[in-house]
Amino acid sequence: MRAPKEEDYLSGNLTAMIDVVFQLIIFFVCTISMQDQSKNTGIDLPMAPHGPVETKELREIIIDVNKNSSISMARTPLSYTELLGILKHAVAEAQAHGAQVPIIIRGDANARHEGIKAVMDACATAGIYKIKFAALKEKAG
Amino acid sequence: MARKSRKQHLVAGELNLTAMIDVAFQLLSFFIITIHPVDVYTNMNVFRPSQESTTVQEGPPPNMIRIMIYKDAYTINENPIEFKSLDKIMTKLSEHDKGQTILIMCRKESKHRQLIDVLDMCAKLKLTNLSVVSSN
Repeated sequence: MRAPKEEDYLSGNLTAMIDVVFQLIIFFVCTISMQDQSKNTGIDLPMAPHGPVETKELREIIIDVNKNSSISMARTPLSYTELLGILKHAVAEAQAHGAQVPIIIRGDANARHEGIKAVMDACATAGIYKIKFAALKEKAG
Repeated sequence: MARKSRKQHLVAGELNLTAMIDVAFQLLSFFIITIHPVDVYTNMNVFRPSQESTTVQEGPPPNMIRIMIYKDAYTINENPIEFKSLDKIMTKLSEHDKGQTILIMCRKESKHRQLIDVLDMCAKLKLTNLSVVSSN
């Protein structure tokens, strides 16, 4: 049995590491595209070039209002009662931790205000008085 | 001296970087081709007054600007106005007090774009005390 030579230690097998790196790259590429798709809900956001750049908050609730004034969350259409139930539940959970519920309303530029009003009324009924309206600061391309 | 050069030869010889550099270039090309510019979003904060906290206030009215949004029309303190003129008036008013309350009242038939236009104008003028209410 020969003693291990110096070159045996120097030759590192990188195959496994490269495999893992590829797996990670594929994972991130797929998940980033899925995140983009979740925002692409067919809502034509109005432009607001002077607004502050959006800041992400924990447990933020994004409510979409499309041009027909239909309410949805994460591509799931909701009635006013269902939305109110979700908001009340979120407020109760947040209050237990002494936190607030950040609400973002993504309204279509051509939506009538009555759709937005329904969401704001539900927020006020659930005890949420601070609301954010999403808009486009800069359009890509 | 001879011992040192032998060691260097071993390190460079065993780690063949050609394949890894090939892959790195492939990845670089992939990302350059697939990357596309993304939209920049903004979130504008407003306060929604409670419907139940409507109380009759005695004395002079507070320092408040009331903007009403109708379908394709606006009023400021009950005076009809074009959006461009509204911008000019608001610019003058904001020079006196940035902390004054702006009450934005939206008619149900108004478009959401109009509300965002008014909020964007307030953001431009650094007016932050914004309340939005709905009107029938």
